[in-house]
Amino acid sequence: MDFSSLIIIMMSAVLVNNFVLIQFLGICPFLGVSKKLDSAIGMGLAVLFVMMIASAATWPIYALLLAPNGLGYLQTIVFIVIIAALVQLVEITMKRFMPALYKNLGIFLPLMTTNCAVFAATLLNVSAQYNYAEAMTNAFGAGAGFLLAMVIFAGIREHTENADPPACIKGLPLALFSVAILAMAFMGFGGVVENLFG
Amino acid sequence: MNPVTVSYAPHIHNHASTSHIMRDVLIALSPALAGSVLIFGMRAAVVIFMCVASAVVFEWGYQKIMKKQETISDLSACVTGLLLAFNLPVDIPLWQAVFGSGVAIILVKQFFGGIGKNFANPALTARVVMLISFPTAMSTWAEVPNAVSSATPLELVQTGALQYMPSNLDLFLGLHGGSLGETSELALIIGGVYLIARRVITWHIPVSFIGTVYILTAILGEQPTVQLLAGGLFIGAIFMATDYPTSPQTNSGRLIFGLGCGLLTVIIRVWGNYPEGVSFAILFMNCIVPFINKLTMHHALGGKKA
Amino acid sequence: MSRYAILIKGIAKENPVFVLALGLCPALAVSSLVSNALGMGLATTLVLIGTNTVISILRNVIPDKVRIPCYIVLIAGLVSIVQMLVQAFVYPLYLALGIFLPLITVNCIVFARAELFAKKNKPFDSIIDAIGTGLGFTAALVAIATVREVLGHGSWFGIPIPGLAENSISLFSMAPGGFIAFGLIIAVISKISKGRAAKLKESGCASCPSCAACGKGGAE
Repeated sequence: MDFSSLIIIMMSAVLVNNFVLIQFLGICPFLGVSKKLDSAIGMGLAVLFVMMIASAATWPIYALLLAPNGLGYLQTIVFIVIIAALVQLVEITMKRFMPALYKNLGIFLPLMTTNCAVFAATLLNVSAQYNYAEAMTNAFGAGAGFLLAMVIFAGIREHTENADPPACIKGLPLALFSVAILAMAFMGFGGVVENLFG
Repeated sequence: MNPVTVSYAPHIHNHASTSHIMRDVLIALSPALAGSVLIFGMRAAVVIFMCVASAVVFEWGYQKIMKKQETISDLSACVTGLLLAFNLPVDIPLWQAVFGSGVAIILVKQFFGGIGKNFANPALTARVVMLISFPTAMSTWAEVPNAVSSATPLELVQTGALQYMPSNLDLFLGLHGGSLGETSELALIIGGVYLIARRVITWHIPVSFIGTVYILTAILGEQPTVQLLAGGLFIGAIFMATDYPTSPQTNSGRLIFGLGCGLLTVIIRVWGNYPEGVSFAILFMNCIVPFINKLTMHHALGGKKA
Repeated sequence: MSRYAILIKGIAKENPVFVLALGLCPALAVSSLVSNALGMGLATTLVLIGTNTVISILRNVIPDKVRIPCYIVLIAGLVSIVQMLVQAFVYPLYLALGIFLPLITVNCIVFARAELFAKKNKPFDSIIDAIGTGLGFTAALVAIATVREVLGHGSWFGIPIPGLAENSISLFSMAPGGFIAFGLIIAVISKISKGRAAKLKESGCASCPSCAACGKGGAE
């Protein structure tokens, strides 16, 4: 394992295979919480944080417990239970010891259990056969990419608030068209990461 | 709902001022128009006509069907159609050109509320849509009289076939493969100087955009002059990146915008899969304009920080 | 409500994707080909039938306070079973769906039906509700996939369409085209239904665990 392969994994997850824009993961919170910049940042940070700790916990359990004992088929159940438990734990700990942070991220935490981006990150770590360092890098990149897309999209939505679309376009369709344009802008990065760091 | 619409400057109040601006842009584009027909022949005129006509028809038809006020007399649809045509290869199938016009006018402009409300440049977004949708047709270049190879200079750089590279003078005059209106920097610069003299645009975006590309490619050991003259840099920097609603409103913001466009262009050209990065770079920067505005907006004395 | 009405409402009036805007990730991610969309829709329908049945039978047994964790474990278990069935009998589909198969676990449609219907209704009605919702989800996926495959690949269900196959618009087979196709369909539905469909019913959101975050129904 060398350092450049980690950078490739991370930057690919941020730019080229962006979770929301290219892989369609975490669309619901992406569309729902991006109306205001503050909540977009809060949601993005919560996803990043939970993605990291979920990957930190699920990878060893899969590699050390499930896989060696031929229990790979339990992956779906075990992972979702771990994520649910972790989210509870984080919520309680944060409330108790970091009230300031809890005030900002608290309302987003319960949603992480059923956030498909978080669950998907843990599954992808296993299916891509990453080692522990690669898995953590991938989780960080995926979360950072989600946060980046979320923040940019919140800016666009503040702009399109002034838009005056026909009634049938207002709301969800307009948001979807905006995401499409943003996703195309990200497609220009194809190849950049591999060629730059490879 | 609040009946008062608050928008950033420049406040385009009415039809008349918009059509004045658009008329100036059309005048500024006319040298490039003449150049493209001279270089690429009559098919260029056909493509340009189809793009402009379909853009106007789409705008008119949409506003008729949606029972909205007609705005085709403000000439903005003409400008969009012309700019789109300038970004297409001469042999593009005409239905694809019409599809591009539809994307620009309806999806990118009218769905977002019409002129001044869109966050991405319509012609540019349509070009990116076509680049992704029709990769073969969008990179098939016709033979150009005088030029040795029909490939664009940037493709020659990417494939390393530098022996076919036209001379710098040919690059500057536009005698090489490429999109209709992008090849002749001479014609584009004449148009740019006209727009700056008429105060339709300021110098900030074109200069910082082109300057960044020059400096960065020099640092990276590419040939900066070729990088400047080879692709769609000038048409992008002068005509696409300076579009009012999709670029920053302050001069310092414009400098940042141009810098970002230049940086991304070089990154995509040097390392990306696409030989040309100008469109993707401007589109990406379009998306973060709200943040550049926030960062550089002046606050009135005693006013609350937004 | 008659059983027929229960069946039909999930397909049209309360279509989970087009009207309630739930389950958007799979609706966008596996809709570039009609065959994948159909497979995903049917797999989700199977999970829905399973969860609705079990939750309805156990509706008086599961304590209200711990019902959400119970649902999660139950749904994950059923998804694992469906995953194995697909892997065993339709292996190409298993490969095509990838991680979106296990991701049915966090599809809010499944949660929504458990919380809104199965929790308070008899097993037979709950099964009908699951079938209706599942078919509605499948229909929505196939509709999006039809637009995307015809435009993006020039084919339908893998059958090339003469004239279109050579002139496809590949954007529609990629991510941005998915967003655009979905947006266009919703706009058309909203136009036809004169805006009624666009108003998201509270029922769809209230039960979704992402409620507070998504901001459509809950706090923002």
